[in-house]
Amino acid sequence: MRSLIRAAWRSFEMSTRLRVVSPWAYLNWLVFPVIFAAIGLFVLTSSGYARVAYGVLGGGVIGFWSVTYLDGGNSIQEERWNGTLEQIFAVPTPLVVIVIGKILGSLLLGLLAFIPTVGLAYFGFHAVLPALDPLRFAVSLGVLSFSFFIIAVALTPLFAISRSAFTVLNGLELGVYGLCGFMFPVSQLPQWLQPISYALSPTWATRALYASATPSASGDIAGWWLASIGLSALYLVVSVALYRFVEVRARVSGELALA
Amino acid sequence: MTQSLAAFARSTWLQYVALFQWATPLGYFAYKVVLPVTQIVFFVQLGVFATGPGNALYFALGNSLQLTANSGIFGVIATVSNERQYGTLPLLLGSPANRLLTFMSRSFVNVLDGIVSVVFGLVVTAILYGLDLRTANLPLLGLCIVVISITTAGLGLLFGSLGLVMRDSIIVANVVYYGLLILCGINFPVSRLPDALQVVAYSLPLTRGVMAAREAVAGAAFGQVAGLLAGELLVGAVYAGLGYALFRLLEGWARRGGLQEAY
Repeated sequence: MRSLIRAAWRSFEMSTRLRVVSPWAYLNWLVFPVIFAAIGLFVLTSSGYARVAYGVLGGGVIGFWSVTYLDGGNSIQEERWNGTLEQIFAVPTPLVVIVIGKILGSLLLGLLAFIPTVGLAYFGFHAVLPALDPLRFAVSLGVLSFSFFIIAVALTPLFAISRSAFTVLNGLELGVYGLCGFMFPVSQLPQWLQPISYALSPTWATRALYASATPSASGDIAGWWLASIGLSALYLVVSVALYRFVEVRARVSGELALA
Repeated sequence: MTQSLAAFARSTWLQYVALFQWATPLGYFAYKVVLPVTQIVFFVQLGVFATGPGNALYFALGNSLQLTANSGIFGVIATVSNERQYGTLPLLLGSPANRLLTFMSRSFVNVLDGIVSVVFGLVVTAILYGLDLRTANLPLLGLCIVVISITTAGLGLLFGSLGLVMRDSIIVANVVYYGLLILCGINFPVSRLPDALQVVAYSLPLTRGVMAAREAVAGAAFGQVAGLLAGELLVGAVYAGLGYALFRLLEGWARRGGLQEAY
């Protein structure tokens, strides 16, 4: 067990060091969130400040998500481009341990996205969260982080076995923002899309996050936390099977670098 | 002359093929269909949440028009950065090919691709949000789409030149593409920006072209938007000219410093 923790820690440490010098990481945690926050704040404050919480937090949530799953997932793609993906599969340490270390690093970096976006809201638009319940907010953020972490861990095998998985998910990026209610409630979506939203764990955590920062919000926040955690657990179960499949397939096909 | 045109046409076609060398059919579909649709839907729903359903078309139309930047910015910048990534930049710089033709062919295919992207966006807008073009001045709208596709590619050429000396110029493409969403009146009027940013907005392509296109959809005559289109073309020409000058400047710099092979 200690050796696995050490391996995950080294993976975390190495990937964090690489991110510090990677311009892509700065694009994801700093530039993108600020751009989306700016658009959100301009649009959402055009008719008053009633919906401003979505502008204050929306860019940060988008940045957090992008760094966690895109940066975390893409780190596997980069291993392929750097010719080190086979070594990662061949070492005695399970793939999932290495992936957990990488994604914990991106999770930590992703949280930074809230700093510039909240700063932009405050200094650029004089906008603050209307009614923050610190305890509920902290728990909601924790649940959101957990849901992002599990999704990133679950998706990574897809990045490993398919070169186009990243492209496809990248194409869906803005759709995910909408489906998970990162910048507006999912009730804004067409009725037929809402069931998809409810099957996504970040939807519930994001709903709880906004409810804990909005004065008039009502609802079962604890139930939303549980829904998010439950869905995340379900993803985890599916991902275990996916990891086993990928590890076997990579060895059998021998096409890891070409996938 | 015929040989030059043939080289231009060949180069243009190969640019496009090379641009999507990474893509499987599914990846190409995600990039060219899913991404535009989700962009339009996301910003329309955001706008409807903020301002009510009456403004859905404002957001849908703005984002449909901005889709040309997907080709004009990403496409044009990627053509140079891909040359570097795949090690063919030294061959390009070492070839005796006419630099102006090489430079312009990099944008031409993306202008065509940009026009197709906008038309696709308008079809999506018509299907999802009931865009009614029966009262629109369609020839003028078509002209606006062509003009913004050319001018946006002009901006792309300027930043694409950075790919001669910069490893991650595609990052610049991301910043410029999404920056245009803030500055060019895509999701809210330029007048809502602070004064300094309004100056930046009017010095960028798209801003006037999008205004003109919105007017064309409302049925305006050519004379009503001629000034906007002339301004848009002027801005695009300035960026293309600056881009070509920068391309030649950085080409020399890259050659002297061996930067074209630095990766």
